[in-house]
Amino acid sequence: MAARRINRTDFLAGLAVTIAGAAALVEALRMPRFETRGADPFTVPGLTPGLLSAVLCVLGAVLLLRGLSGHMVAEGARPSITRWDRASAIRSIFTVVSVLVYGVLLFGRMPFMLATALFVFAFTIGAELINAERRLSTPMLVIGALVLAVVAAFAINFVFTDLFLVRLPG
Amino acid sequence: MAMDGLSHFLAAVAEIGFSAQIIVVVWATLLGITVGMIPGLTATLGVALVTTLTFTMEPNTAILVLICVYIGAIYGGGRTAILLNIPGTPANAASALDGFPLARKGRAGEAMAIATTGSFLGSLVGMVGLALVAPWLAEFALDFTSFEFFWLAVFGIVLCGQLTAMDDALKGWIAGFFGLLIAMVGQESIHAYARFSYGFPDLEAGFGLLPVLVGAFGCTEVFMVMRQEATRVIAGNVTGVLSAAFSSFRHARTWLRSGLIGTFMGVVPGVGEDMGAWVSYAAAKRASKHKDAFGQGSTEGLLAAETGNNAAVPGALIPVLTLAIPGSAPAAVLLAAMIIHGLRPGPLIMITQADFFYSVVAMVFWASCAMLVLGLLLTRPLLLILRVRREWLMGIIFVLCTVGAFAIAGRIFDVWVMIGFGLVGFVMREAGFPIAPMILGVVLGPILDNNLRRSLALTQGDPLPFVTRPISAVIAFLVLLIIVFSLPPVRRGAAALKARFAGGVS
Repeated sequence: MAARRINRTDFLAGLAVTIAGAAALVEALRMPRFETRGADPFTVPGLTPGLLSAVLCVLGAVLLLRGLSGHMVAEGARPSITRWDRASAIRSIFTVVSVLVYGVLLFGRMPFMLATALFVFAFTIGAELINAERRLSTPMLVIGALVLAVVAAFAINFVFTDLFLVRLPG
Repeated sequence: MAMDGLSHFLAAVAEIGFSAQIIVVVWATLLGITVGMIPGLTATLGVALVTTLTFTMEPNTAILVLICVYIGAIYGGGRTAILLNIPGTPANAASALDGFPLARKGRAGEAMAIATTGSFLGSLVGMVGLALVAPWLAEFALDFTSFEFFWLAVFGIVLCGQLTAMDDALKGWIAGFFGLLIAMVGQESIHAYARFSYGFPDLEAGFGLLPVLVGAFGCTEVFMVMRQEATRVIAGNVTGVLSAAFSSFRHARTWLRSGLIGTFMGVVPGVGEDMGAWVSYAAAKRASKHKDAFGQGSTEGLLAAETGNNAAVPGALIPVLTLAIPGSAPAAVLLAAMIIHGLRPGPLIMITQADFFYSVVAMVFWASCAMLVLGLLLTRPLLLILRVRREWLMGIIFVLCTVGAFAIAGRIFDVWVMIGFGLVGFVMREAGFPIAPMILGVVLGPILDNNLRRSLALTQGDPLPFVTRPISAVIAFLVLLIIVFSLPPVRRGAAALKARFAGGVS
């Protein structure tokens, strides 16, 4: 009988969940019990997180073991992470890096409209350049992205700050 | 009592219909339809973003706007499913099964008309359900104590995890318990101890629900859309809209059944519109004389899916208003918005805010009417929205996510939370974990925590009342039943027993 292959997605996900559950359980057990204050032992802060992390630990271990056994619940449950290609990976990495640069480095550190216009311009150009089905020539793409970036930055700023009185950074 | 409710409802309908609020209904529903149609903008994200725009509005107007956006978005996503074969919102996945084949056959106009009337009829059935069930449930919930609320939270997580993970309940439960654990971050309510905070003041306040929601549904969607292959609009024939719209009324059994199923699925905590559509679709297929047509362009299948998902919207409002527990992810945002605007949903709603309750029913009515009229009149112009390329749209959607997360409290930390949950949601979805139980866990976490500790303090640590009090015992039994019937050996045994029984009968 041929040995079943490990279901790597389930195995790794189960491992991550088990470790996270175990870490949270340790942390919950370390939480204060306020005995000196005469607190009711059934109201201590670590009770609920302790129970939840223990359950998560058990569920994670079950998933890990299922992954090790190579058992697949159903063909419909096959995760999409097993169906990536090179183009998907490039687009995903580009998107993650772009949003991190905007959300962590630009937003709140420079005027909102400038940060937003820069991000929208760079994102549009970048996404089109890695798109195999691009139809626009480079000069047209740059002009279009520039117009989109400026209009989007002004419009979002106007709607949020002037129309609905929401404060934005910068 | 019923006549009293009807007069309250009619008064609320007249109040909206004969005031400037009717203009709000039109623009908010149109905004919702647009949001729903754009792949990457879900109903949850739409309602969350618009919540930030309603801070300066009157509470009733704010909730009106949000309900219109919610109903419009769930409906709008159906167009994307029909014309692009990708659901505009997760609630429209079942609509693509028959909607897209219809569009490919050159019957896109007919498909969109059926989706429109189906959504309208579904909303109306759900509205009736809301008006009838919510007052009864609110009265029943007055008997709930901390024991029952604890079990209700567990029941919500277990059932939502089981239903949303489709074939893999284990992953649904992991997502749900992960969400509950996330809700533990920050200061707890009994001893004011900051859990899992490590001295960071931002963490001591816990994760805000709206940044988490915007991240898990908006930012994740940006990642998902950019990862997948680009889609193209089917240049469908958009004639015969009105005649097809009227033909839907003839399938009374289908839309009534789907409306009832959708409403029920909406009531189940955290499950919401997508399951409303799937279960309605499956039930319609089982009952149909033309089972083979399902998946090949069946108008009955499309009608069932679109009726089911829109019926779930008012259904999801039932637990929001009566138990302060969301029936779906967009309803969780709506619940947060109600609290932000000083409204207090819960078992006391029919005693302290009966007028508000009937206003909500009237809001559903007007939003459904606006959806029907706008959907039928603007069939052709609305197609233009689908021609926008994702490369030009996703950057702007991410900016909206960022602004939406920031605007709630003006904290940069919330932007990081949004991005963090976007990445977590992306990895979870790619690995086959559903997001909805996690979000439900974040909402139900404080309810579970407070009621568990309160109950144990009351009984001096005796866990017996959790299973001996009548309502608690029933909910606990249901939880046990769901878990047992999700175990693969039990499911296999039940399937074998069913097959043997069917064989014996025939």
